[in-house]
Amino acid sequence: MRRFFAATAAAVIIAMGLGSALASDPVRIGFSIAQTGLFSQAAPSQMTAYELWRDDVNAAGGLNVAGEQRMVEFVFYDDESDPSKTAQIYEKLITDDQVDLLIAPWGTPSHLALAGVLEAHQFPMVGNTAASVAIREVAPGNIWFPTSAIPDHIGPNLAALAKQSGVTKVAVIANLLPFAQENLQFLVPALDAEGIEIVVNESYPPDIADMTTLLVEIKESGADGVIALSYPADSFLYQGQATELGVDAPFQFLLVGPTISAFADAFGEGSSGLVTLGHWSPHQDAWPRARPFYDAYVERFGMRPDYLDTALAYMSLEILEQAVAEVGLDHDKLREVISSGTFETINGPVHFTGVENDTTPTAFLQLQDGEMHLVWPASIATADYMPR
Amino acid sequence: MDHIFSGQLLFSALVLGSLYMVAALGLNLVYGTLRLLNVAHGDLAMLGAFTAFWCFTLLGLSPLLSLPLAAGLCALAAWLVHAGLLTRGPLAARAFDGEVLQRLEANSLLIFIGLSVILQNVAALAFTGSPRAYRYLDGVIEFAGVSMTGHRLAALTIAAVIGLAALAILHFSRYGLAIKAMIESPMAAEVVGIDVRRFRLGALMTGFALAGVAGGLISMSEQISPFMGFPVTIASFIVIILGGLGNLRGGMAAAFMLAFVQVYGVALTSPSYASVLLYGVFVGALLLRPEGLLARRVASR
Repeated sequence: MRRFFAATAAAVIIAMGLGSALASDPVRIGFSIAQTGLFSQAAPSQMTAYELWRDDVNAAGGLNVAGEQRMVEFVFYDDESDPSKTAQIYEKLITDDQVDLLIAPWGTPSHLALAGVLEAHQFPMVGNTAASVAIREVAPGNIWFPTSAIPDHIGPNLAALAKQSGVTKVAVIANLLPFAQENLQFLVPALDAEGIEIVVNESYPPDIADMTTLLVEIKESGADGVIALSYPADSFLYQGQATELGVDAPFQFLLVGPTISAFADAFGEGSSGLVTLGHWSPHQDAWPRARPFYDAYVERFGMRPDYLDTALAYMSLEILEQAVAEVGLDHDKLREVISSGTFETINGPVHFTGVENDTTPTAFLQLQDGEMHLVWPASIATADYMPR
Repeated sequence: MDHIFSGQLLFSALVLGSLYMVAALGLNLVYGTLRLLNVAHGDLAMLGAFTAFWCFTLLGLSPLLSLPLAAGLCALAAWLVHAGLLTRGPLAARAFDGEVLQRLEANSLLIFIGLSVILQNVAALAFTGSPRAYRYLDGVIEFAGVSMTGHRLAALTIAAVIGLAALAILHFSRYGLAIKAMIESPMAAEVVGIDVRRFRLGALMTGFALAGVAGGLISMSEQISPFMGFPVTIASFIVIILGGLGNLRGGMAAAFMLAFVQVYGVALTSPSYASVLLYGVFVGALLLRPEGLLARRVASR
């Protein structure tokens, strides 16, 4: 009996050993994500892109690592929307979990917090959901930012779009949070340069509960354009109360909000004509990957992808995928390829100069009949701008 | 600044105040009768909000009709908390033992923080963290120069009905008298023959149910997510502290006071001061009258 068990045990161990030698180890990709905390409402739009990509890649037989097919496995932790925890988690992922690749957490503060960790370990990572002029302060070489929504580009472009759309008097309201204020800083001089009169310029705290006074001020100012540098919560508040009070300026811009699936669910055709920040649309035929991605996402999750965060997250994975296919997992080779190559993504071609994406232009989307169309710049527009 | 007297500002202040009132009433009931610091109050509102959302999107049920369901679910949660946490072991037989109640009050913060974390994360696992929203009664009604979005008017109406019912019950019915007696002194209430145990369960269930109703009303005009509860909890605590802990009618008045400060304060100064005004008034009021602006006596045990 004992000999039988011993023989079986030996056979099993040998079989396992053989098995693991024959099958390739999975590629372990590490990251942290805000599952709780302040960013937890926004982070799912990025996590879904990650999951969709992983499952598609694995269904196709695995990730192409310089010719070898290996399955993808995620190693991730909750960073609780705390940038200092993000840095700690990435430190752990590199030194303790020893992951093969890294992908990005959600949000600008998290990206900036872990840049130092990447530098220290010389571990390259393609960022995604980060947009601030502060990204240019980051030492290049181990982190790249595919977004084109940088405030010092947004300001002049938005002013130009407003001018082109016939705005003469504009009301600007801004959330007191850093990204919105950064945008305000560059927007005001740009509007002056375009000769547009700023008739209202007010900032409000992020937890504002009522915008009646603000909106009455905007109505009485006779502004024919409203630029609200807002976050999702106040975008919701703005749209609801602006509709109630009948703010009917033909040009209305909300910084962050309309690209979220829930926004269109809440306001339907009342939100038609709103302009917002975004450089991706499934309607752009020059980007063959855009429409299939959109359809796959809708089929899997039953809602539309976020045109900013989900698109960026998926782009960062496409870039990584193509780099890994070319040179495998070696950090130095990956760094070289990502820094110099041009990648085909759902947002068209992407190429980096330093940390910045130099190919994708700063763009704006407009809600037209429930669909998001790029209306600026003309080079990638999928529809003409329509006044409300 | 001539619009300071406009009906529009008044409407906004009333809508905001009525939502604060419903939420704060629930919290005040729970604190007043059980001395429990329910920091999970906002998360119960979140449950109510999701109930309204899922009933609307999956069943096409109007959120106004799913409010009783939201209330019922939260009342069930209250019953579970009561049976599972508050009446076990040393608490079971000694309903109003001073020492036990004191320990319970001290531990209630931890208990309810735990409940809050559990509710938030269960919801996040079940529903994902993505924000949700729906459209309901979003037509704008014009009346006497005031524009009112349908669902805001509906929320105001329902909250007003709840408020009036609460006032009526507190003033006219024996139950209201019993609740007020219990809040004042549980020991004396038991001595005069009030079944404190039964009323405490009832107050807990009503308090949680009101949170659920508040959440359902909020869901009509805001996006909802598993972590939306915290601002509701904060606002509710500010209201009940301003009105006097355990002072139900004071809390209801304080809710409107707070809303008026936020809406009219902004109109008189600038939108940048919205938060400063809210917390400034709160801190100032506490410095002047720590027991609450409208409290007639210090809540004591």
